[in-house]
Amino acid sequence: MTALVDASLLADVQRFGAADVSACFSCGNCTAICPLSTNDATFPRRLIRYAQVGMKDALLSSKELWTCYYCGECSDTCPTQADPGGFMAAARRYAIASYDRTHLARTMYTSPVLGSVIAVLLAAFFAVFMYASHGPQNAASLALFQFIPEELIHNTGVAVMILVFLAGLAGVATMARGIARREQITVRDVVGSRAGLKRSTQALWVALGIESLGQRRYRVDCETVQEAQPWYRRRWFIHAATMWGFLGLLTATILDYGLALLGIKATGTPVPIWYPVRLLGTVAGIALIYGTSLLILDRLRGANRSARDSTAADWMLLALLWVTGASGFLIELALYLPQPPLWGYWVFLFHVSVAMELVLLAPFMKFAHAVYRPVALFFYALAEHRGTEGS
Amino acid sequence: MSERRIGVYICHCGGNISDYVDVDQVLAAVRDEPDVAVARTAMFACSDATQQEMVQDIEDHHLDGLVVASCSPKLHMFTFRGVAKRAGLNPYEYTQVNIREQDSWAHTDDPVGATHKAISLVRAGIARTRLTTPLEPVVVETTPKAMVIGAGIAGLRAAIGLADIGLGVFLVERDEQLGGWVGRFGEMYPHQRNGQELIATLVEEVRKRPSITVFTNAELMAKSGSFGNYLAAVRVNTNPPNLIQVEVGSIIVATGFDTYQPEVGEYGYGIEGVLTLPEFKALVDGTRGSLTYHGKPVHTIAYVYCVGSRQPGGNEYCSRFCCAATVHASLEVAALDKTVHQYHLYRDIRTYGKYELLYTESRKKGSVYMKFPDDTPPAVARDGAGRLTVTTRDTLTGGEELTIPADLVVLVTGMVPRQNDELMNVLKLPVGRDGFFNEIHPKLRPVETVVDGVLIAGACQGPKNSAESVASGLAAVTQSAAILKKGVAELDPLVAAVDADACTWCGKCLEACPYAAVEQITVDGREVAAISATTCKGCGGCVPVCPEDAIDLRGYTDAQIRAMIDSLVEEPVA
Repeated sequence: MTALVDASLLADVQRFGAADVSACFSCGNCTAICPLSTNDATFPRRLIRYAQVGMKDALLSSKELWTCYYCGECSDTCPTQADPGGFMAAARRYAIASYDRTHLARTMYTSPVLGSVIAVLLAAFFAVFMYASHGPQNAASLALFQFIPEELIHNTGVAVMILVFLAGLAGVATMARGIARREQITVRDVVGSRAGLKRSTQALWVALGIESLGQRRYRVDCETVQEAQPWYRRRWFIHAATMWGFLGLLTATILDYGLALLGIKATGTPVPIWYPVRLLGTVAGIALIYGTSLLILDRLRGANRSARDSTAADWMLLALLWVTGASGFLIELALYLPQPPLWGYWVFLFHVSVAMELVLLAPFMKFAHAVYRPVALFFYALAEHRGTEGS
Repeated sequence: MSERRIGVYICHCGGNISDYVDVDQVLAAVRDEPDVAVARTAMFACSDATQQEMVQDIEDHHLDGLVVASCSPKLHMFTFRGVAKRAGLNPYEYTQVNIREQDSWAHTDDPVGATHKAISLVRAGIARTRLTTPLEPVVVETTPKAMVIGAGIAGLRAAIGLADIGLGVFLVERDEQLGGWVGRFGEMYPHQRNGQELIATLVEEVRKRPSITVFTNAELMAKSGSFGNYLAAVRVNTNPPNLIQVEVGSIIVATGFDTYQPEVGEYGYGIEGVLTLPEFKALVDGTRGSLTYHGKPVHTIAYVYCVGSRQPGGNEYCSRFCCAATVHASLEVAALDKTVHQYHLYRDIRTYGKYELLYTESRKKGSVYMKFPDDTPPAVARDGAGRLTVTTRDTLTGGEELTIPADLVVLVTGMVPRQNDELMNVLKLPVGRDGFFNEIHPKLRPVETVVDGVLIAGACQGPKNSAESVASGLAAVTQSAAILKKGVAELDPLVAAVDADACTWCGKCLEACPYAAVEQITVDGREVAAISATTCKGCGGCVPVCPEDAIDLRGYTDAQIRAMIDSLVEEPVA
């Protein structure tokens, strides 16, 4: 099958922050030094070449885009200062924008000002939307769900989740179809037989469990670059803390809703700290705040290669995560203060609005990697499996 | 022939010969040959000490013949001719016997046979030397004028150079205009100089020099005479044509090249939007503002390199200039419009020397270079949608096939030899397998041809860029000066001579001679052949065809050759 060249590809990827990789003459030092590049997935050189040549489909359907954690060794080694690591990051942004058909992601990435305006307006919209149905602010105790009706929050939340799910699903379908075609994997290969199903299940476990939640390669293979730091300052741990924190909070929120649906505990009822859902939320919140704070700090200080060149998209995700986490803790604080402060209501409105926005925008910003990376890792695991079978 | 006094020297060549040939046995076998006065072996015959010893022997023993059995005459013939001269012996009384390239090196598996062969060869050399006579070089006076054929950049520059060292010049150009290819070019690499301006400058310089006579619309029709004094007939194609005779001492051929013209269908040639390099260069040179073709803007260009060059079974040579010229043209395009996407599909990029910088610069300006495998050349087509496309494989992406939609496809065509059959015929110039004119030696005699006094310069000799063409033009000027500034030339006397008494003029020698050295003359009322000693190359082609045995080659007479054969068929072991 012949690939139709898109001559404007490189210029387009560069709009997403790639360094000038036209300096790259394909020596392959980057691929050689990369601790993650294997025979089943060679990068970054080949992907840079795709961009130079204009092989758009090949670039977008390369699982290798997502097997990189940007340790930056390639960029340090590059003899032409073409910054392969930076290119990979930009190509991932480009891919997120390309998998999304609404053009929203492209706008968020390529026009930071417009993107920020959209983010602020969206938060404001949620705030106004919910405030429009507000109830009284009880001064004696913080009755948050009297102020903003529980139903409204839950229904809006469910609506947002459905939208996000659909948007994410469309993106994942586009991506998965591309990769599958490129890797010559059919649906039948994946689920068509007992053996295939077993293989796919294993691959899914590797992709989601070992690699995504367990961060194995990030932790083990990128180790060389991270040795200088104690474990709690290593990039993989900070990233994992953020991820686990977010997932913990999401789970706690959903559980809380579930408990309410089951009539076990009304949402917003004060419970002691050891109450499982609250405990989970608190621990996850601490993890999220720890992770995001350090990520922000590292970016401010340019502590490592990937933190050195930050785009608006990087800041936006971190800011939203941090603000969501921090405002959550403020509410917690307000709830347990002996004299409930009135600002608690406003922080609550803020928290709910920002959290809604964070979830709604997820497929259109850096957050989307949380979905696309596991998909790529799934195909990577399949390829590795095939490699072992073949040998 | 009365008794001779011959010195024989057999060389070890430091083992190159003596490892396989028993040099002492050879000495023992030949030292008692009749007429041998002195026989010795030498570790290195060419060493200063042995040369000195030879001089001493020639003087002490009053030697009148010299045989050196060592390496090929190509290596040391002039060395030992010099030895003879220094010792007061006529250099043509010396014979070189090759027992290295043609014996020891060829028979490393058979030392006994090699020794026997050496004995036979040395004996044959002695047999030839017995019959040598002293010969003197042919001395001719030369005409201090030169002809330059072709007024391209090499010819124009050569004409100016010749005039500046005081030689008269006839500059003959077939075209109406002076300037050749370069005269049609705009900006050229490396220094962004404009070709038309370069030529205008040179033409201006030519006009300033009264010693240069320019013929345009003119061709060389005939050349007669001999080395140093040629009579050239130039036809000027006026109406009616005008035939002009001029005398010249040397002729510089600078007739340039043609560009390869692809067949229709070759890499899509014939499809609209598929151009050759010269067609593209003309398009770019003629463009102000953004590049358009037939009124349509050009956004993407694909270059296909090595079209008509390095083709097995076709033009197998590399045309040398085309890579740099194309890269330079692509930089011109980038300067016109930096948004144009340019894809270079190549087998190998050979922007040699300083031109590597052009390549780097074009990459910086966004040109993409893609190497295609030798066995899978790109395919150019117009697809169903009417779009011009090039399909190729890019080695660096692992050979994946890709299709480039392009507004223009440039076939990077190389140089081919110009069709000059008439001139080749007139000058008797040999061409190489590639069809370009051949020099005598690519390193040591790069602008001389086997025809004395006829020199070649520029791309008629093989693909060159303009800088290299001018350099070879000036080399031809220097070589002309070496021939013509002394006023006289010495020629080898090893040429054919006719015994007028025996000749009955049948004309066979005239037909056999590749150098037009044979003339029909009248001697005492009889028609006989005469051979010009200055034109003859001593090839010997006329000798065997003569039914009367009336022709002998000096230095290789029939008697000498017979004596050598007789001695070779004798049993070698003494």
